[in-house]
Amino acid sequence: MKIEVLEKNETNLRLIIREVDVPLMNALRRIALAEVPSMAIDEVVMIENSSILQDEIIAHRLGLTPLKTDLDSYNLPEECSCKSEFGCNLCRVTLTLDAEAKEGTRTVYSGELVSENPEIVPVSDRVPIIKLAKGQKLKLEAYARLGKGKAHAKWQPVSMCAYKYYPKIEITSKNCENCTKCVDICPKKVLAIKDSKAEVRDLLACNLCMDCVEACPQEPKGITVAWEKNAFIMNIESTGALPPERVLQQATKILDKQLNEFEEQLKVEET
Amino acid sequence: MIIPVRCFTCGKLIGDRWEEFARRIKTGENASDVLDSLGIKRYCCRRMLLSNVEIIDEVLRFYEEAEKRKEARNFY
Ligand SMILES: [Zn+2]
Ligand SMILES: [Zn+2]
Repeated sequence: MKIEVLEKNETNLRLIIREVDVPLMNALRRIALAEVPSMAIDEVVMIENSSILQDEIIAHRLGLTPLKTDLDSYNLPEECSCKSEFGCNLCRVTLTLDAEAKEGTRTVYSGELVSENPEIVPVSDRVPIIKLAKGQKLKLEAYARLGKGKAHAKWQPVSMCAYKYYPKIEITSKNCENCTKCVDICPKKVLAIKDSKAEVRDLLACNLCMDCVEACPQEPKGITVAWEKNAFIMNIESTGALPPERVLQQATKILDKQLNEFEEQLKVEET
Repeated sequence: MIIPVRCFTCGKLIGDRWEEFARRIKTGENASDVLDSLGIKRYCCRRMLLSNVEIIDEVLRFYEEAEKRKEARNFY
């Protein structure tokens, strides 16, 4: 396996991965979406709510607010040694919110949540939770837990995790009469005209739609679009809960663990 | 009612971009350019901001009016 990093920042990771096959890529994608744990508010105790939104709506909004996650110091509640329904310091974080509109209408932001662990805080402190009119109050206690995307989308650490084949475009100058039809039709502007000849400008943007091949009036076609069998472009966009490279690392670890478990089960069956 | 926290379709956090979006649209900027500069690329996330109407401001006014009436009644 060869990995080349195309783009990397706090939320985005774009990779070219070579010498792998579809099953592995798809397993990693699905694990990143559904199995990599992240932190989210799971239970809310309303102490006072005189706002115009119901308790449930506020709790739902709090749950969807992504929290920065520390996977090394927290356990999944079902795997925690405490075995308690309520949770312990290793599997639960308490956040509190106490807001009151004293002078006129104001917006309550996610930044006003006070966490018992300063590492586990909302990714963005500018998410509007609710608007309060003068005199309204909102006071609550929220419990955040680790969870998996397959249980609820709020625990998904990625807002996008996708891969596509590495494209291979060939323009045969023998058959091409420079009609520029393929250049005009391409929705991703992959092709361009240089010295009155069509050429590939941005290969990685190609999504293999084949519009250019269909638009070509020549027979045989002057342009062919194909893909490499064992090379993929992978794109991961994190919600901010975990860095995207950490999501991928964790996904490989989980896949490894699941395969080991599977192997153990097979051995048990045999004996 | 109020801007959703995440995109309904993909789950990207968009709630924190609403206020800047609304402010810049009010000054007459082109919505597509604003969305591009906020880094909202996919059309599922773009429609979240484009089609949102903040009704909560209007609903809050009912509450405020009711409070004013209560105050007036207590005054007389
Ligand atoms: Zn525990
Ligand atoms: Zn979206």
